[in-house]
Amino acid sequence: MTSAGATTAVDRFRELSDGDPEIQAHGRYFSCTYLLDMIEHRFLVRMHRGEVEELVTDPGPLEPYDFAIRAGRETWEGFCSEVPPPMCHGIWSATFQRDMTLEGNHLVIMQNLRVLTRQLELLRITGPLG
Amino acid sequence: MSTASHDDVVGRYVRVEVEGAEYDVFYLEAGQGQPLVCQHTAGCHNHQWRELLRDPDITSRYRVIAYDLPRHGKSDPPNNTEWWTSEYRLTTDHFTGFVVAFCDALALDDPIFMGSSFGGNVALDLAHRRPDRFRAVIPVEGADHAPGFFLDWWQHPHANAAQVSASGTWDLMAPQSPLADRWKTWFYYTQGSEAFRGDLYYYSVDHDLRGRLHEIDTDRCPVVMLTGEYDYLTTPEDGRRTADGIPGAEFLEMSEIGHFPMSENYPRFKTYLEQALDSIATKTGGGAG
Repeated sequence: MTSAGATTAVDRFRELSDGDPEIQAHGRYFSCTYLLDMIEHRFLVRMHRGEVEELVTDPGPLEPYDFAIRAGRETWEGFCSEVPPPMCHGIWSATFQRDMTLEGNHLVIMQNLRVLTRQLELLRITGPLG
Repeated sequence: MSTASHDDVVGRYVRVEVEGAEYDVFYLEAGQGQPLVCQHTAGCHNHQWRELLRDPDITSRYRVIAYDLPRHGKSDPPNNTEWWTSEYRLTTDHFTGFVVAFCDALALDDPIFMGSSFGGNVALDLAHRRPDRFRAVIPVEGADHAPGFFLDWWQHPHANAAQVSASGTWDLMAPQSPLADRWKTWFYYTQGSEAFRGDLYYYSVDHDLRGRLHEIDTDRCPVVMLTGEYDYLTTPEDGRRTADGIPGAEFLEMSEIGHFPMSENYPRFKTYLEQALDSIATKTGGGAG
């Protein structure tokens, strides 16, 4: 079940990503599926050539993905704030110094690191998706 | 008459020999006075010091010299070896030997050495090994030990190494730093991926001063450490712990800045750098400062 607030943030995230000049300029090979394991919900982000093809809240147990990004509430709240506090300000800092984990196929993360980094920074605008 | 608007920074090459390797080393310099030798971060080049080199508040008192370490920027790999037949792994012996040989080649008298990241670590190694050769050192984002970054991802053939190196270091900068300067730093990092991993062998593996910090003699070579609060690799805690282990060392935590302070936000870095330079001038009996 998805709350109204989460739906709003999800829609905003999708809108920002598909309208982002940097992702549009550099994301034509950005095709992969990843999971954001956030505070109350999990979000499956399916990317195709730089566009959000599908964004599923609380996907079923057998939905496949290439990699997952997981963290606790405090880390996600910091990560998704307008000016993140030290060590919450990116997936590298939060995995090195906080409780964020990157699970799955790391090669896909590295292959898409440039645009993925930009896309995740859009969470500073939307706040946590839920 | 030319109407070109030049600044005072000039670039030159100098021949340097280290452990049998012969290098043609490119360096930028500006200013007059106390030599201030600057080392860029791993996998990067001397343009990280672009604003320091153009800052008359500094260059009116200091001769700022920022070189490209061999295999970086315009400094080629060694002229006299088949370097392409072996894996590049920078060692403490080679790195410290290079810095001393470079300073000797330029006949620098009592220079201050400043470096960031692996340059911060080598500043500590220089203070430890050659306090006779340097007036003082300023380790920026340095620590006694900095594990965790000697990774194959920097050169993985199935990923875009330039982008991995550049975006893999993006989080090392503070979100408050000007976006244009963060992107310049990112851009420099796309140019150095082939050397990055080998540099990090020194940074994360070969450099290790744990248990030996007390051997650094700050009466002979003062140490002023600077670390940014957004640095997740050598955190302020790492910097403070390292400085606490060196009798007489100073430590300044820099707010709202990360691992590439001179490149990501020079105006903010400058406020801390001036404190460090003033402290060194006081400790070493005037001059510059």
